[in-house]
Amino acid sequence: MEPVTSAVVTVTVNGETYEREVEARRLLVHLIRDDLDLTGTHVGCDTGSCGACSVIVDGELVKSCMLLAVQADGATIETVEGLAQDGELTPLQQAFSDNHALQCGYCTPGMLMSATYLLRNNPEPTDAEIRKGIQGNICRCTGYVNIVKAIDAAARGEVSA
Amino acid sequence: MLLREVEYARPTSLDQALQLLGASDGARALAGGQTLVNVMKARAASPDVLVDLGKLDELRTIAVSERGLELGAMVTYSQLIRDEQVRAARPILADVCAQIADVQVRNRGTVGGNVCSNDPTNHLPPLLCALGASMTIVGPGGGRTVPAEEFFLGVYMTAVGLGELLTQITIPPGGRDGFASVTIGADGTCIVNAAANLDGEPVVAVGCVSAVPVVVRPSSTDESPLRESVRGAVTDPPGDVHASSEYRRHLAEVVAVRAVRQASERS
Amino acid sequence: MTTIAPEGVEAPQKGFVGQSVPRKEDKRLVQGQGVFFDDVKRHGMGYVHFVRSPYAHARIRSIDVSAALALEGVYGTLTGDEVAIQTDPFFEMSTPPGNEIKDYALAVGKARFMGEPVAAVCAATRELARDAAELIEVDYEPLPVLVDPERAQDPDAPILHEDAGSNVVWSGLFDWGDYDAALAEADRVVRIERLHFHRFSSTPLECSGALVEYERATGQWTLYCNHQMPGVGAIWMAPSLRTGIDKLRFVTHDIGGGFGNKITLHPYFVALCLLARKLNRPVHWTEWRTEQHMANTHGNERVFLDVEVPVKADGTMLGFRVKAIDDAGAYPRYEPLGCIIWSQVTPGCYRWRNIRVDFTQVCTNKSPTAPNRGYSRMQHLWFTERVIDIVGQQLGIDPVEIRKRNYIRSEEMPYETPNGCIYDSGDYARALDIALDLIGYDSIDERRRDAEARGRLLGVGIGSTLDSGTNNFGQSQLLNPDLQFSGNNEVATVRLDTFGEIVVTLGTVPQGQSHETVASQLVAELLGVTPDDVHVRPGHDSFFNSHAGFSGTYASQFAVTGLEAVKGATLALADQIKRLAGVILGGVDAEDIELVDGFARIKGNPDAALPFMACGAIINANNAGLPPELDDVTLNCRYVYRPPFQVPDKERKFGNLTLTYATQIHACVVEVDPETGVYEIVDYAAVDDCGKRIHPQIVEGQVHGATAHAIGAATHEQFPYDEDGNLLTANFYDYHVPHAMDMPPLRTGHLESPSPMNSLGTKGMGEGGGAGVHAFCAAIQDALRPLGAPIVDDSCNPYHRVWETIRDPERSRSLVRVETR
Repeated sequence: MEPVTSAVVTVTVNGETYEREVEARRLLVHLIRDDLDLTGTHVGCDTGSCGACSVIVDGELVKSCMLLAVQADGATIETVEGLAQDGELTPLQQAFSDNHALQCGYCTPGMLMSATYLLRNNPEPTDAEIRKGIQGNICRCTGYVNIVKAIDAAARGEVSA
Repeated sequence: MLLREVEYARPTSLDQALQLLGASDGARALAGGQTLVNVMKARAASPDVLVDLGKLDELRTIAVSERGLELGAMVTYSQLIRDEQVRAARPILADVCAQIADVQVRNRGTVGGNVCSNDPTNHLPPLLCALGASMTIVGPGGGRTVPAEEFFLGVYMTAVGLGELLTQITIPPGGRDGFASVTIGADGTCIVNAAANLDGEPVVAVGCVSAVPVVVRPSSTDESPLRESVRGAVTDPPGDVHASSEYRRHLAEVVAVRAVRQASERS
Repeated sequence: MTTIAPEGVEAPQKGFVGQSVPRKEDKRLVQGQGVFFDDVKRHGMGYVHFVRSPYAHARIRSIDVSAALALEGVYGTLTGDEVAIQTDPFFEMSTPPGNEIKDYALAVGKARFMGEPVAAVCAATRELARDAAELIEVDYEPLPVLVDPERAQDPDAPILHEDAGSNVVWSGLFDWGDYDAALAEADRVVRIERLHFHRFSSTPLECSGALVEYERATGQWTLYCNHQMPGVGAIWMAPSLRTGIDKLRFVTHDIGGGFGNKITLHPYFVALCLLARKLNRPVHWTEWRTEQHMANTHGNERVFLDVEVPVKADGTMLGFRVKAIDDAGAYPRYEPLGCIIWSQVTPGCYRWRNIRVDFTQVCTNKSPTAPNRGYSRMQHLWFTERVIDIVGQQLGIDPVEIRKRNYIRSEEMPYETPNGCIYDSGDYARALDIALDLIGYDSIDERRRDAEARGRLLGVGIGSTLDSGTNNFGQSQLLNPDLQFSGNNEVATVRLDTFGEIVVTLGTVPQGQSHETVASQLVAELLGVTPDDVHVRPGHDSFFNSHAGFSGTYASQFAVTGLEAVKGATLALADQIKRLAGVILGGVDAEDIELVDGFARIKGNPDAALPFMACGAIINANNAGLPPELDDVTLNCRYVYRPPFQVPDKERKFGNLTLTYATQIHACVVEVDPETGVYEIVDYAAVDDCGKRIHPQIVEGQVHGATAHAIGAATHEQFPYDEDGNLLTANFYDYHVPHAMDMPPLRTGHLESPSPMNSLGTKGMGEGGGAGVHAFCAAIQDALRPLGAPIVDDSCNPYHRVWETIRDPERSRSLVRVETR
């Protein structure tokens, strides 16, 4: 086996399979944003601290700026664009809107992926568990108040039509 | 921000991994990447070759044997937290791992990566020293086991040499454990931390105060002699924006006492 | 979370104003379909990376770009030499010597702060641009570094700007009332040697940046960017680029937070404009987080020295005197406006009349400052609150009592402050009562005992601030009488399209403040439709021609300036629709036409109705035979709102500087571990009064966010520098902002004291974080009282500072002296 400086990466994102040749050093978030034109996933920092780049890879919530694209070869990835089906928002997305859980919307995709992952693994989280579940997502607009409220509402099915 | 050019390989066997690591002095193991990718983004260090251990399932096992709890080096914090065997054998490990950063980091970060990076603010080095863990290192010449206290050599430096790989961390049976820390924000980076074990003679390991965990064996678990032995061992902790050297030294005593208290409360 | 609305607040009307309608912005944002500038791509675009000075102060001897240019995939570079030839320095607002400062898009001859851009390189990929930057060789000659603003005027201080010959950006004395008489009348004089307000910033999650295109044929630049105040952005950039204002088209769409940190982006943008022109391709630059912390902007750092407070025995405060030194960093950009803007709230919430402020702003080798959320008022209000608390503590008067004794009373509103600002409305005492009630102030002593039993010290703190909104830029003339800025404005255009669609374009630049939604509520109510019928274009575009010199979103004004502009445009449109319908429906007076459900119809005769679609079609495509009196009916109404300001009196530095004053009273309960200095905020209440609330949920959201910023700033967020000018918190790793688990339980309450200063009764809001900074400081001081009664003299109190305060209460206590007359 010889190390390579670039490789063809195959990923399935939101159900669609893509193949791209990328440099080994390319971060997964840039594959997603620049090579696949899925710009919903955002970059907010350079130390893996803010979580704006959060996506779900092979069922696990990760920060896509902390993975190389080549590490995701063969993986199944979910991004924010895959949540709503045909423009039909998920209860979580609707709850975010109902509860004003977003202002500028920049942290929102990452926040939604973290919340989606949380509710998948813990359908009835307590306030503390919600906060722990989004601890890796920084928001500078909302103070998290309405975000926690929205996730709680979604968990309890209290969402507008 | 963005990595320098790098070569990458993803071996499918331990032998292949060792071969790749041995082939170049600039080759480094890539485990969870939660430290290494950051370091490479900042261009503080730029290995020539990244050997991705992600496909080495043999390093992801958790087992209990007569030696104790055996953690594969690639076990992630999340995996460890969820594992029933860990909860039963040595719950402190799960408790501490649950305090590391956030769920995204815990899903990727590995116990092996935590100890091999040996960032002075990491949680596991002092904890594993206090628990008397041992590290299994495999190289071209074979395998060897190094006790935790001898594993950590300096900042970002461990007993794992070029061309070698940490494969397993073994934690002996026990349970009178404690861990205390002061962090920057909830589940944040440690300003100072300490782990204690009272299964045998008391052992306290303090982190964040030196290049490697500072291990003390106080004459008793009473507060006064404990504080004195910590004070004596933590002579010149670093100062930074979060804590002066003096403050760290003070906190070291406090968290040592709290870790011991927690350990004594566990039967 | 508890919310309290006091009695007497009107129930929501049947219209949309006052209702928390669903937000228009959400649908795209929750689906990741927001368009942030980094999402925009252009064929052939090059990625830019800036080479930055590793020194806080250094002469630039030479720059060698040859190795970078030789790298395959590199399109070109830009250095300070080119900038100095192709552009003129940015317009400076200060008086001599500050006006001699030369500020360019890249460092010219000298770097003055660590991270200052020195050169730029453009390449085919982000990674290549980063690689190429490393190949650019810059030869520096390091110079002595100045980081302490209190040393900036020392005779041996390094001078940053040789052209100015001094580190003083601006200096002046403000003197209102009769301070000497107040001093003579005092029963006690409290003196505080020093208080310090620290550097931090609201660090929006989206970094700054732009995609810039240059069209050779016309010399037109287009900047897809996140500049939050394009009106002045163009004013700075056009003369620098030696071009006309219209040649700079700013296009924003979604912006990931601004908080004032995206106002002074003009240096970066000029560099990008030059590169786009030079390389004949679109150029794309996104700031990195580390770069934002080092080399974007910080909030002003301010030191308050030799504070003197004459007080009567009963706790009535007669006035204060202070010497303030403000640190503007290496280049004054929005500065020196900070030297006057604090005076919008000179007395804070209090009735003292005799105030003397000696204010000096200096340069240091640190990041330039910008109007970070709360700009200049936050620093000053923190100071007035510290004074109130410290004086109260010294005289043994309870913090609630001393505030109530000195607060301006609601019956005194509108209240003219000592320097002529008009506080429009507000009931501070009542807001304070609500805040205290929310945190259970009555049972605080019990909670204190309970905490003590657990080995903790409990403290309560109050922060009362005002968010002065809608600036009168004439205040700039109080700093420099030669400046040609005054008043304010905002623009909106509302039109009926050919098929009757209602389209709104705003001059504002929202970064999360929900302008599309709020504007649509107002338009819907005035035109008799629903918000869903109103299409508000997202973002700002110079080519909408719906902006003026001060357009943008900053300084807490949208609810006044933006909405008044919307209202003016909508009423004009409504009038035109009615006149048109009147004619079409058979010579009916416009007064007898009403607009209901998308129709213009005769009052009392609903069947005689003309749908908006018909109106649009007639004017746009079917206008033969219309009478001359309808010549001016275009159904495309642009309105410029101009708030009623005068140029202030430059002699006395007197006049109304802001139109509205929202109130924030916060209360914070903290528990401190005396062994470590580690603390936890266990309870928190924020009460806000921003007059008429157009969308209560949005207002609440702003309060939450401002509170989080305050808590972050008061606890761990700081931008400290070492003596070599290295920033010690250059990323989110070391600069700790609140995460979800760091937030305390947050209770909110509100009052609505309508503003008489505009037709909507609204007040700008959103910058209310200052109250929280103080509430936390005061809570710490209260908690530590049993340990030698130290005072909190710094706005930032991370654990180590609390511990040091516990260890040495005498240090801070000795800063305060009380003289009894």
